[in-house]
Amino acid sequence: MEGFIIALFVCVVLALISKYLSIPSIPFYIIAGVILGKTGLGIVHSDEVSQFFSNMGLLFLLFFMGLELKLDRIIANPSKVLTGGLIGLTVDMGIGFSAAYLLGFTLMESFIVGAAFYITSTAIIITSLIENRKLMSREAETIIWVTVFEDMVLIIILAVLSASDQNLLLFLVKIALALAFIYALSFYGREFLVSVLERNDEIPILFTFAAVLTTASIAIYLEIPETLIVIALGAAFATTDPDAFEQHARPFRDVFMVMFFVFFGVTIDFASGVDWFVVAVICSLAIVSKLISSMIIGIVIHGSSLSGLEIWANMISRGEFSIALAVLYGSPIIATTIAAMVIVTSIVGAFTAKYSTWMRRGIIDRSRRKALMYRPHTNR
Amino acid sequence: MSAMALRSVNLPGVGTKYEIETDKGDTIAIFFTKTGTIQMYTLQKGCQTPSAAVMTPVEARRLGNILTGAIIEADQESVEIAFSALADLRVTIHTFYIPESITGKTIEDLRIRAKTGATIIAVCRHDKNIINPPPTFAFQAGDAALVIGESDQIIKFEREIMVE
Repeated sequence: MEGFIIALFVCVVLALISKYLSIPSIPFYIIAGVILGKTGLGIVHSDEVSQFFSNMGLLFLLFFMGLELKLDRIIANPSKVLTGGLIGLTVDMGIGFSAAYLLGFTLMESFIVGAAFYITSTAIIITSLIENRKLMSREAETIIWVTVFEDMVLIIILAVLSASDQNLLLFLVKIALALAFIYALSFYGREFLVSVLERNDEIPILFTFAAVLTTASIAIYLEIPETLIVIALGAAFATTDPDAFEQHARPFRDVFMVMFFVFFGVTIDFASGVDWFVVAVICSLAIVSKLISSMIIGIVIHGSSLSGLEIWANMISRGEFSIALAVLYGSPIIATTIAAMVIVTSIVGAFTAKYSTWMRRGIIDRSRRKALMYRPHTNR
Repeated sequence: MSAMALRSVNLPGVGTKYEIETDKGDTIAIFFTKTGTIQMYTLQKGCQTPSAAVMTPVEARRLGNILTGAIIEADQESVEIAFSALADLRVTIHTFYIPESITGKTIEDLRIRAKTGATIIAVCRHDKNIINPPPTFAFQAGDAALVIGESDQIIKFEREIMVE
């Protein structure tokens, strides 16, 4: 328990520092975990309490994702979501998967590494778009829709990975029943839900917490993935009063997510058995592969490679979803690789996102200078 | 009105975006972000990079008042609302800081309605708001009063009540 308190205290300090420097806090939390845990000082250990909190972090992250997942909006703008999304999926997932397979991971492991390699961090990207005042750019909208697409892909990946070791038919029937139940509840119980959320006392926040936990434990009892069911719960609740749910779920998500990152770092063992060559290749490819996919997205959607560069600069960061995949399905080697990738990409991504305007200006200036130097009439 | 192109989009995870293209071809975009701040971008016609301002909700409301044509002085502000549908009905709401000369007096004592025609609709006292104060309401030092009326009545209020 002392370790837990130390970790919590370190996180508060780190959060203050990262907010002061306006860079994402996720890599800091993981590094803190690494330093305090197995690899570093060994003060903090993963125990039942920390596992409970980490698990809560994951559940609330996914519940929140479900709340944001407004299917009607995606159906209304299918071309916007699909074009960029599909390019990213094929290029990044393809490169990530092949690289992992060539580096000696098994097929299944390569799929997990590829998925974690592909999925960017919605939290980091959206926050940096807001903080760097880039919302108006046309690229920003494309980036936001690509992250929406990635969320959908994550759901499919979670479904595929959890279905792989079960009786498929029974599994699908159980999931369909659970989904039908959740949607029926939020459809017929809509007025009740709204009236609960409108109260001024502790009921709304208690209800939100209980709803997520109860749903997750029922899912575990029925032996269906609680991750998927919690996302579905979020999506179903989003049809009632999503803003109220977000407001009540946010404190839980914020606190538990920090625990989730720290204790992920704690369990990581960088000290022994890490193939640094593999880690280095995956980390650098993670940045290069996004450059390729973003360039294609920029050229296809905006007809400009400069737009592609801007998209790349903002989409390098991997984060919460990659770690979620590592925690849920990764072996220790996969977890180490993904941890390193998240730390490297999120720090590099923070800088590229901050200075992309300068980068862009530099390129435009240089091409202008070239155009001025070029004089067609002097036959040199 | 139809020339002005206003478009609003709800961006998942970010918030709501409003974009206006002006007659002259400039673009103004406003984002109500989920973090609670409001961002305003202006992009001059022919320019590539917009300039941005980040505002708190209070600042944004102030900016809104200025844009609707209200007169805002250093610490007192006034808003004129015009209801075009009701024969161009115009109502002015003005804030006044209560001077020492009238502290302790009630609205009844001052005969505000009879003298000026204006009405006090709210008083702000130590960050607490008293809406529709009764005639027996007595002013204290530091109160801010919200007065509603025609612009002539507001001027009368300023001349006759505030100096008493």
